[in-house]
Amino acid sequence: MVVLLAVVVIGGLVWLMRLKRGGARADRARTDGGGPGLPDRPFGGRRVSPALMSQGRIEVRGLTKEYRGVRAVDDLSFTVEPGRVTGFLGPNGAGKTTTLRMLLDLVEPTAGTATIGGIRYADLDQPIRRVGAVLEAGAAHKDRTGRDHLRIVCLSAGIPLARADEVLELVGLGVAASRTFRGYSLGMRQRLGVAAALLGDPQVLILDEPANGLDPEGIRWMRDLLRTLAAQGRTVLVSSHLLGEMAQLADDLVIVAAGRLAAQGTVASVIGSMTWLSRTLVRTPELEKLAAVLGGDAVVTPAGDGGAYIAGADAIAIGDAALRAGVAIHQLVTQLPDLEGAFLELTAGKAAIR
Amino acid sequence: MTALLDSAALDQADGTGTTLARLLRAEFMKLRTTSAGWLFLTGFIVFTAMALTINGFGNYSLLHPEQGLVSAAQALAQTAQARSPAGVATMAASMMTSGQLFGVLFALLLGVVIVTSEFANQTAAVTFVTVPRRVTVIRAKVAAAACCGALFWLAGTVMAAVATPLFLYSQHVSASLAGWTVTRSVLLNLLAFVAWGVFGLALGAVLRSQMGAVVAAIVVYAGSFGAILVFTALYNLFHQGWMLGAPVIAPAVASEVMTTSGQAFPHAPPGWVGGVIMIGYTVALVAGGIALTKRRDVI
Repeated sequence: MVVLLAVVVIGGLVWLMRLKRGGARADRARTDGGGPGLPDRPFGGRRVSPALMSQGRIEVRGLTKEYRGVRAVDDLSFTVEPGRVTGFLGPNGAGKTTTLRMLLDLVEPTAGTATIGGIRYADLDQPIRRVGAVLEAGAAHKDRTGRDHLRIVCLSAGIPLARADEVLELVGLGVAASRTFRGYSLGMRQRLGVAAALLGDPQVLILDEPANGLDPEGIRWMRDLLRTLAAQGRTVLVSSHLLGEMAQLADDLVIVAAGRLAAQGTVASVIGSMTWLSRTLVRTPELEKLAAVLGGDAVVTPAGDGGAYIAGADAIAIGDAALRAGVAIHQLVTQLPDLEGAFLELTAGKAAIR
Repeated sequence: MTALLDSAALDQADGTGTTLARLLRAEFMKLRTTSAGWLFLTGFIVFTAMALTINGFGNYSLLHPEQGLVSAAQALAQTAQARSPAGVATMAASMMTSGQLFGVLFALLLGVVIVTSEFANQTAAVTFVTVPRRVTVIRAKVAAAACCGALFWLAGTVMAAVATPLFLYSQHVSASLAGWTVTRSVLLNLLAFVAWGVFGLALGAVLRSQMGAVVAAIVVYAGSFGAILVFTALYNLFHQGWMLGAPVIAPAVASEVMTTSGQAFPHAPPGWVGGVIMIGYTVALVAGGIALTKRRDVI
């Protein structure tokens, strides 16, 4: 009995010493290390190698998720390229979160595949060294400090504990590292989520509504951070229902509505593809005569100050018609829809609650 | 991939140790950095101290039967029985496992909390994104729950190992704590603590809801003893002999049968039957918890 007790106690002491040694190693790393350095190594203009490109590419093919007969995500396919910020846009309930969770192997797809660099998330070697994810702002134990929350992730992933302090400084939470999560504002919680995503210095970043609850200064910080990370050659996929934010942040867009792909491409190409939404501003002294020669397809709406918007006929058709009718044209401007117009048109009628 | 962020710490990342060992250390850190584990341990120590005191008084009354309650001859016989080597060994064994009957509840509930707090605090997604190998994550949690059970046992046994010789010495009786009767009880006690810790963990993995799993754990444990009443009533109606031993199918009764050196209740089956049933339930629950965790979406 005594021998057994002695063995258990000695085993416990050895265990504790090992833990302590790990901590001491981490402390050494902290004192030896320099600063976090994200902004010190600007990546602008640096060419991303083809190998890095393919490693960081997110590919979603025919992804489908059915919950009790309702298709939350329906045959969704898109590609996200490295070195760019891709906005994943859709109204609430469009299936954005479900898609991101399928990408991270948290939700099992009913059909289709989602891969990062051609590999399923679950099959990645050391996944958090490759992919960083921000899923929910409230995802930490309320009684735990920000530093401990990150250290637990470090410990699980085999990353030195000192890395927790580096990323806390990086996201501006250094002073709040020892405070419990309960005392964090929503903005601080978002920053802690971003810090956790950056722990493994990943090539790919996936963020679900990271701007939610941030004040204007916080939104600007997030925008600058994500743009810097993309400029370093990383893949940044960020979901949002905030259009204004996306217009300023994203290079590419993936727009979903009712679980289906509504549009994909660069911001300009998505807007540009919607020529049927474009209209032409015309100024002419003989508007009625011009309208008459344009025919029934063209819809003319007065613009107020003597001009008119014409939809259903592009600038070339209007110019040709005016020439034929001998009508003078003082101004002819094609107006493309803005992102908000495109988004609302693409997602119109696809109610969030299905 | 080359590190795009300058990081002294990441440069030193070695990734040594197996994923299971790293996850187990992370589970201990989770327990150390929140209050639940400490509260359970403190509660258990206070409870064990109370149980030791009550047990001490009980044993004192065995050694010193009150005249008037029993006849002088009976008192003499009882004292002689209690002071015999076998009597003292049984007494020492019961003191060394003081509070075991309800002490294992602390291990059971901590096991529940280890897994359900992940869902209650929405950290399950962080855990599974960090290590997508879900079976390994659950295995680490099972190991953590087993270690917590063993730690509770160790705390209780150390307290008892201090109190028991003091009590025996004060009563001028002696028993070797290394004797087989005591050692057997103490080891079976360890098995019970470990099994209940893992049982709680697996129950939490199956149910996920913290409140639901805590209530279910208490109902399973306390309700088990109702099985004795139910089967006694059934025996009175149908007079089938097997009904008297049947309560052992309830987990807490099985555990009690396993750890009791004599008969846990009249007509109780031998201890190994209780052990097999208790371990069977635990293994089945762990298998169910792993299968469900593998299959279920984390939302």
